[in-house]
Amino acid sequence: MQIDITHRPGNSAAKVSLESGESITAEGGAMIAMSGHVQVETTTHKKDSGSILGALKRLVTGESLFLNHFTPNGGPGEVYFGTALSGDMMQYDLNGPGIMVQGGSYVASAPSVDMDIQWQGLGKTFFSGESMFLIHLSGQGPVIFNSFGAIYPIEVNGDYIVDTGHIVAFEETLNYEITKAGGSWLSSILGGEGLVCKFRGQGTVWCQSHNTGSFGAALGPMLKARG
Amino acid sequence: MQTSIEGGSAFAYINVDLEPGETVIAESNAMSSMASDLSINAKFNGGFFSGLAKAYLGGESLFVNHFTNNSSSTRRVTLVQSTPGNTRTIELNGQEFCLQPGAYIASTPGVSLGIKWAGLKSWFAREGLFKLTVSGQGTVWYGAYGGLLEKEVDGDYIVDTSHLVAYEPQMKLNIQLSGGLFSSFFGGEGFVTRLEGKGKIIIQTRSLSGLADWINPRLW
Repeated sequence: MQIDITHRPGNSAAKVSLESGESITAEGGAMIAMSGHVQVETTTHKKDSGSILGALKRLVTGESLFLNHFTPNGGPGEVYFGTALSGDMMQYDLNGPGIMVQGGSYVASAPSVDMDIQWQGLGKTFFSGESMFLIHLSGQGPVIFNSFGAIYPIEVNGDYIVDTGHIVAFEETLNYEITKAGGSWLSSILGGEGLVCKFRGQGTVWCQSHNTGSFGAALGPMLKARG
Repeated sequence: MQTSIEGGSAFAYINVDLEPGETVIAESNAMSSMASDLSINAKFNGGFFSGLAKAYLGGESLFVNHFTNNSSSTRRVTLVQSTPGNTRTIELNGQEFCLQPGAYIASTPGVSLGIKWAGLKSWFAREGLFKLTVSGQGTVWYGAYGGLLEKEVDGDYIVDTSHLVAYEPQMKLNIQLSGGLFSSFFGGEGFVTRLEGKGKIIIQTRSLSGLADWINPRLW
């Protein structure tokens, strides 16, 4: 499997070149184009495993209920993946500790990668808004995720704060808690920073430069009400 | 203070490295990530009444956040505007600059934010009744949806309404039809802003209201 990310960072797309019989799993709706002899199999779970519970959990994370598995038969083939919002994509090769990917940032992964939804606990999810659901990816092989805007990595060594709307993914070696941004709750709420994610330990956090929630809040009032 | 604008013209964001004791001020919800020991204080945007005026009349947030480094070494805060697009700076050295509502992102402590009556004409042009002014000493970061075009005007210049981002205060603004009655409404340009005088203006290559106008007919 060969992955090339093209048209970065504004209009990125991932081109995945597959050997005959080799598969890639992607979020429903991510495919832009593919070779004519690529077979698509749609399931509610990881190929050959998983359950309906997994699918329901994925639905709450903001991902599609369905996963598609792309396999070229009778020769090599290719599949292009894209996303709805303009922004960057990146490839991460799992080989050791797993990573947590923000719901909505997951694009595709090799079949050798295990996928599970991490329920963040009622308190954490309730306070942190719609997208603080995380997908836990582990095992071996490449993963593709996307961002709204550019991606910048932060090497955490100690403590670091990231706004919940700016998290793309992070290494599972990091601990995290949802907390207030400022010294006081009042200041955090008045200042509009609300809740943030405080990471602790050693590892990498990948942040997206832009926040879908803020962009929605800017654009939303200009849109007409649905009739 | 070391600062840099990263992310290119499409996804610009600002890295601010604060030395011990330094402060940077940013609009509400501009912080994307920061060192955990920076202190954040939400303050009224230039006093209570001035803050209220800016929030309800100038399209800015009621509160701004003061990020202060109380530690003993350099600390980073990363700031960004709500829309994808470019970000630039204005270096103020006693002069004043006018910003369109929503363009302000951040500033150094020597900069004061004010609000001025922009006039009914400006309101008709969907630019708001009031305009935000920045003055004093220091750096202002502002941004837009799309790229930013800088233009030195001497005489008359016409900008599509909603594409004007910033201008020097001596520029006179007038709202007018883009052409004759027929071409103005059927040609899709509608109202335009005529700027008169000698000075610098900044234009954004996209507009959020343009995007909304494109989406709206597709919603049902």
